Amino acid sequence: MKFRWMILFFPVVSVVVISLLVKEHAARAASAETVGAPVSRSAGIGAASNSSPALAIPDTTLAINSPKPMSERVVHYELDAKYDAAKHIVDATEVLTYHNLTGHALDHFPFHLYQNAFQPNSTWIRESKIAGSRDVSYEKWEAKEYGSEEIKSLEVVGEGDLTSQVQYIQPDDGNKDDKTVVDVHLPKAIAPGAYVQFKIAFQTNFPETQARSGWKRDFVLGGQWFPKVGVFWHGAWNCHQYHAFTEFFADFGVYDVKLTLPQFEVVGASGVKVGEVNNSDSTKTVSYHGDDIHDFAWTASPRYRVKEDGVFQGQMGPVQMRILMQPAHWSQVERHENILRESLEHFESWYGPYPYKTITLVDPESAEAGGMEYPTFITGDTNWFMPAGIYLPEIVVEHEFGHQYWYGMVATNEFEDAWMDEGINSYTEEKVLDSILGEKTSGINIAGATIGEREQQRLGSIGVADLDPIAEKAYDYYSFDSYGGITYGKTASVLLTLESIIGEDTMAKAMRTYFMKYRFTHPTKADFLNTIQEVSGKDLKWYFDQAIYGSPVMDYKVLRLESYPVNWYEKKGNAFEKEDKNTVYRSYVWLQRKEDFVMPVEVEIKFDNGEKVREHWDGVSRWTKFTYEKKAKVESAEIDPDHKIQIDRNDFNNSYTEEANPKPARKLENFWMFLTQWVAQALTWWAV
Amino acid sequence: MNENEGLLSSGWSRVTRNKRYIFWFYVMNVLLAWFGAGAFNNQVHQILDHSLHAERLVNGFDLGILIEMFSRPEFGPTMASAAPAMHFALFFLIAAALFLPGVLQGYASTYRLPREDFFRACGRNLWRFIRLMIVAGVVMGAVAAALFGLHGVLERKAAESSNELLLPEVRLAGLAVIFLVMTALRIWFDLAQTDLVVSDQRAVRRSIGSGFRHIWRNLGRLLGSYVVTTIAAAIILVAGLWVWMKFVSSANLVGAVVVSQLILLLLLIPRFWQRGVAVSYYLHNMVEPIAAEPFTPVLISPASGSTAAPVIPSTPPETEGA
Repeated sequence: MKFRWMILFFPVVSVVVISLLVKEHAARAASAETVGAPVSRSAGIGAASNSSPALAIPDTTLAINSPKPMSERVVHYELDAKYDAAKHIVDATEVLTYHNLTGHALDHFPFHLYQNAFQPNSTWIRESKIAGSRDVSYEKWEAKEYGSEEIKSLEVVGEGDLTSQVQYIQPDDGNKDDKTVVDVHLPKAIAPGAYVQFKIAFQTNFPETQARSGWKRDFVLGGQWFPKVGVFWHGAWNCHQYHAFTEFFADFGVYDVKLTLPQFEVVGASGVKVGEVNNSDSTKTVSYHGDDIHDFAWTASPRYRVKEDGVFQGQMGPVQMRILMQPAHWSQVERHENILRESLEHFESWYGPYPYKTITLVDPESAEAGGMEYPTFITGDTNWFMPAGIYLPEIVVEHEFGHQYWYGMVATNEFEDAWMDEGINSYTEEKVLDSILGEKTSGINIAGATIGEREQQRLGSIGVADLDPIAEKAYDYYSFDSYGGITYGKTASVLLTLESIIGEDTMAKAMRTYFMKYRFTHPTKADFLNTIQEVSGKDLKWYFDQAIYGSPVMDYKVLRLESYPVNWYEKKGNAFEKEDKNTVYRSYVWLQRKEDFVMPVEVEIKFDNGEKVREHWDGVSRWTKFTYEKKAKVESAEIDPDHKIQIDRNDFNNSYTEEANPKPARKLENFWMFLTQWVAQALTWWAV
Repeated sequence: MNENEGLLSSGWSRVTRNKRYIFWFYVMNVLLAWFGAGAFNNQVHQILDHSLHAERLVNGFDLGILIEMFSRPEFGPTMASAAPAMHFALFFLIAAALFLPGVLQGYASTYRLPREDFFRACGRNLWRFIRLMIVAGVVMGAVAAALFGLHGVLERKAAESSNELLLPEVRLAGLAVIFLVMTALRIWFDLAQTDLVVSDQRAVRRSIGSGFRHIWRNLGRLLGSYVVTTIAAAIILVAGLWVWMKFVSSANLVGAVVVSQLILLLLLIPRFWQRGVAVSYYLHNMVEPIAAEPFTPVLISPASGSTAAPVIPSTPPETEGA
């Protein structure tokens, strides 16, 4: 009996062991085939995972001008996607290798499924309907606005098929109809330092372009198109639902992506292209590889015209500038390349090197896809009619390129600290564009009419400045306007104003220090603000508390000017003393702080003999008064005479002149008269 | 000289013989606009006059200042300044309708129309003009609505094309067609107005019918003349704005006023030219032949006041366009 058991036992065990080995080998072979056998680095400590000891994140440097990886690589995505251009659907497999560097055992993993935002009851659309959105009003639902991202199967290597464990969660608002985040519970936790590999089959159905992703006619922009794991940050998973105003947050790593699509498509994508093969079914498979990036986007259109001979000699090596233009915009390709090159030059010179080997600039078919940043891949925004003095293409390209630094490399949490990418980027946009196009003309400079970028940003914020603090979670802003005005405009204005407190050079040094210190990490707002304080050597808490963490508004005003002769009461004979050049006047200047933002300011008082006096007011009290006795009357007073403060809500009342100067108003009067007369004539032309 | 040139030159000679009408219409245009701009002027002076910030408007034109000014609560809602301007633009339209019969009467006359005859023509035709304007408004409004509706549909279709240039091309072509159709309608009612005044037509419907028959028969000739005059207006506007931008420094307020008002004065001419064309056409093609009767001068006592004003010019029409 015992012997018979042994005869039975050994063959069974042998079969089980052999089959397991075969299965694992096959899985590894499939994985290697998918990624093109990338070089792997050792798993290092903690390699002994409860999943597979052979897992690792590649230490490739194919896509960067660096001999070694620049980031702490947490993820390796291997995506094999087939795009159905007629249906706008992607069918794909994803192999995600995750390195647990969190210091915690991880027993569940949340994933973003961003394309599920484009469904009628999603949080994205609920918020967009009441607070506004970038491009679609959602007043009437249209089928083409529908998008979806569905996990067909999910397996964790070593833990089996966990498709049934995939659960939609709504960590922010509990909206059960929102399917933009799923959570996967693992039977066995992943130990600190260990690796885990997910094998996911998914299908993404793109909507017509919304929020800078999707299709338009035969164009497609594949952004946020694959299941993306959350970020374990400050001791917990950070994986927010997709909100109307929010963007993204992800870990650095390596991307190996194969895109199969029709052969007639012209393709652009993040990273460097590593292969292209034509398939027998009139499709082609294009392969891309990205190092030290945290997202991957791609675009395809049969009509792109491509310029890819531009090379920028960067500090770390050459950067290929690949520009995909709409045919109708081809005449503007030089404009696009020039601003891209100049942006690269300024950023490298001011903040730090651009380490990637490529930058792809896409001129998308749809305006809804314009003005977006992905790692090493940006979209511009232009039109067939774009006069040279309207700097929309320059502004958008510079802004999106700037995101390669403030989001791409300094990878802040865009859900919670939107100001740290959009706002800091808007500040550097003002600096760079002012340098290239001129401070007063960097927005528009056409037919004598001008506006500077910094003025545009300021004007965008003053109407909403008291609605939300800058340090607000992006999804908690009152409205899309307040999100836009404060996150972009107010932050940029606050940082420009900071230059007046710590000096322009110190601010530049602080920005460079911040970039070099926090590139390829996920810094917090405290990291940024502390860097400024450290570099400047100043305690700026008083300023940050008001400008970043609070919502008080600044509005200083010259309240009143007054001058009268000191000897006004003296009579010469029967008449009062006549005023002459020897008359001494007692002059008063009153200043008022109308709102709650307290900030020391300079004031320049001008007298009618040409004399100028500069005063300093700490702004603590509601108003103050300066008194003078001079042989001259006060002529005017101006708060912030050097125009360094960008956050004052009303610049008109920052100065007051005793004598009215009607010239500016008359100039406007003339324009208004012209317009009124012309409208009257045009109306009469047709109606009588 | 072809027929078109004949019409244009004949119309032009009527305009040049009666330049004073353009001058008075211009004065009316300025005065009414000045009233209409009053609210705006008060608001801008209140904000700008004592601020050094406003000086950025003097040297150059800083759009930021303009936008900030409009956004100030003390400026008030934009409608508060736009509404009076629109109201006074409407007053100008009404005034033009009131005085236009006199202009047409003057253009139809070979002599300088006395002031009392001018105003008599205005008064006699006021109610007829109002009725005609109502009909014209209904017809032109309906046609414009239909055309712009169709234009919108075409634009939406063109926007679906992957050829981005198709949309602006369709838009421009559509606007050109709308312009031509609306101009044809304008000519129709211009002829009807001329008929009302010159033939002292009481039945507005007859003038409308007569105008319609002629525009139908001579569309190309009339439309050509009107298009030429409209192009002249476009040239005046574009060239005037170019001169304003190019040769008037941004700080030169007097220069800006002179150039801008000159543009507006000159812009009135093409429309009066069109009226001259309509009158010339009317006198040559629409006026009923009058039975030849011996001309007997009638002595009118100065004290007896005016009798019926000459409706058909007392001298034979000149041989324009020949």
